[in-house]
Amino acid sequence: MSVLEVNDLRVQMDTARGTAHIVNGLDYSVSPGETVAVVGESGSGKSVSVMALLGLLPGHARVTGTAEFDGKNLLAMSEPQLRTVRGNGIGMVFQDPMTSLNPVLTIGRQLTEGLLAHRSASSKKAARERAAELLADVGLPDPKAALDRYPHELSGGMRQRVVIAIALAGNPKLLIADEATTALDVTVQAQILELVAGLQSEHGTGVVWITHDLGVVAGIADRVLVMYGGRCIEDGSVDEVFENPAHPYTRGLLGSLPALHEADGEDLVAIGGTPPPPTDLPQGCVFWPRCPVRADARCETEQPPLVGIGGTHRAATFYPGVPA
Amino acid sequence: MSDVLVRATDLQVHFTVRSKGLRRRQTGAVRAVDGVDLEIRRGETLGLVGESGCGKSTLGNALLRLVEPTGGTVEFDGTDVTALNAQKLRALRRRAVMVFQDPYASLDPRMTVGQTIAEPLQIHGLHAGNRAGRVAELLELVGMDPSVASRYPHEFSGGQRQRVGIARALAGEPDFVVCDEAIASLDVSVQAQVLNLLRSLQRRLGLTLLFVSHDLSAVRHLSDRIAVMYLGRVVEVADARTLAADPQHPYTQALLSAVPVPSPKEERNRERIVLRGDVPSAARVPSGCRFRTRCPQVFEPCADHDPALLPVADAHTAACHLRNASRISAESSTSA
Repeated sequence: MSVLEVNDLRVQMDTARGTAHIVNGLDYSVSPGETVAVVGESGSGKSVSVMALLGLLPGHARVTGTAEFDGKNLLAMSEPQLRTVRGNGIGMVFQDPMTSLNPVLTIGRQLTEGLLAHRSASSKKAARERAAELLADVGLPDPKAALDRYPHELSGGMRQRVVIAIALAGNPKLLIADEATTALDVTVQAQILELVAGLQSEHGTGVVWITHDLGVVAGIADRVLVMYGGRCIEDGSVDEVFENPAHPYTRGLLGSLPALHEADGEDLVAIGGTPPPPTDLPQGCVFWPRCPVRADARCETEQPPLVGIGGTHRAATFYPGVPA
Repeated sequence: MSDVLVRATDLQVHFTVRSKGLRRRQTGAVRAVDGVDLEIRRGETLGLVGESGCGKSTLGNALLRLVEPTGGTVEFDGTDVTALNAQKLRALRRRAVMVFQDPYASLDPRMTVGQTIAEPLQIHGLHAGNRAGRVAELLELVGMDPSVASRYPHEFSGGQRQRVGIARALAGEPDFVVCDEAIASLDVSVQAQVLNLLRSLQRRLGLTLLFVSHDLSAVRHLSDRIAVMYLGRVVEVADARTLAADPQHPYTQALLSAVPVPSPKEERNRERIVLRGDVPSAARVPSGCRFRTRCPQVFEPCADHDPALLPVADAHTAACHLRNASRISAESSTSA
């Protein structure tokens, strides 16, 4: 039984430049204890796709499709119903810990707020004790003293630990992390990734990890979903996608990364051009204007469906695995 | 002509911290760059890598005197830059230039791309007869169509703006280019385009490049040699391949092991050194070796003495008591 099952998720917003088609039909599921990585560049719709699940988009966004969490459709819930799910059922960690914490409230106040609101603590005193435990769980030194501190007194890595503690306060079945380590240094990122993996295996939490960093994905994900132009253009197990990337975009993305241990003097295989804006997506395959394969006219007019190419591996291209 | 184009000797940039109120007494100093010795050779790309707050950007700025060093010297082509007057500094600014991180902030939105690139030509009085021609040449050099000269920055994507920033930097035919996190704000697929461009320009024009970045993979890709910084100090220098394959300083080892590698197989099999704690503040630098508070191999002398940057192998230096001690004992055993 999956923790989360998303079907045909679509998000559109009207902007001054016309209708933006930000997410265009996304299907995926997350099992308990599983980490699903959603990979894409800026504007690919990866963040919007998860904000839509939790009802965090502005009112004028049109969200369609279904997202079953615990047997209930998140997209059909009222705001009060959603509020019980947020924090209690689904925890969320955003990129910048300084903007997701309230600068004028102490860490303790921000942690106990959620515990009391979701009735997972009976009194203020019990909530404070539980908050100190949570901070100890995420490896904050001297958790009792940290309760009385303000966010600005902590380093970036420490702040992100606090945000993770808040996200995990309600023992959620699902954790959504949106570029949660992007703002951190690599040595601190390694600490946070290790922490989340430990907590996940302990509690069996399902994780949706949104990132642009393919290295992080290779280290933590069980399954990968590659987004481009609001679509999933390839998904599969982490080994399937990294060992045999089928879509020309995925291949391009992997080829464009400099490696630590590489032969000297080779140029990177860059993808020409830039991603399309969601207000002006190309007809046909979303990737054809930049595609190095682009074998025939069909690519320009017809959208390749996301089809199975062996195992759990799927790709939305007419030419899976064809070299450029 | 010396082999070394830029040489920093015991370079320091300290920012004073003052108390609030009327008296504004000096209460401390942030030691952003704290005694750096560094050589950049003619025609090479030197990568300068480190985490946020380690002083790498301040060092890059100080080499060009975009921030004033508070101690030590910077020699550029044999002249002491720290002693130059305003007029001589301007001449230096033609030969030593900067490509900035954020192509959205570093271009004037009210100037066309052509005006932006021509500005350094005016300032230095170059190509007076045919500035438009030189601008077209520069745009072609960075892979853009010369017809875009009449357009404004907002019409371009981040990657294209960064190309404009590079064209402007190259306008006066500089010898030395500092790229400060020049690809950090770009998307992955666009980063590769700019990295390829920087490399081909460096080779074609024989530039000396200082590539400042927190991205070790990108630094490894572009650089001939790499210098690693930690808390205001250069802790290890080696050629790029050696540094990636055989790092000697415990900090470099941890940094390399923390870099995520885009291969699930490799990720499952690698041993990761996860450092404890955070980088200390540059206003409160630990005594002795500044890495000792997080070092997994810390031992007795680390708290007492500040290790010097000493050779550990051919063309490979590191500032670590452990390496220096093992080297000295190895030397004494061979001589005995």
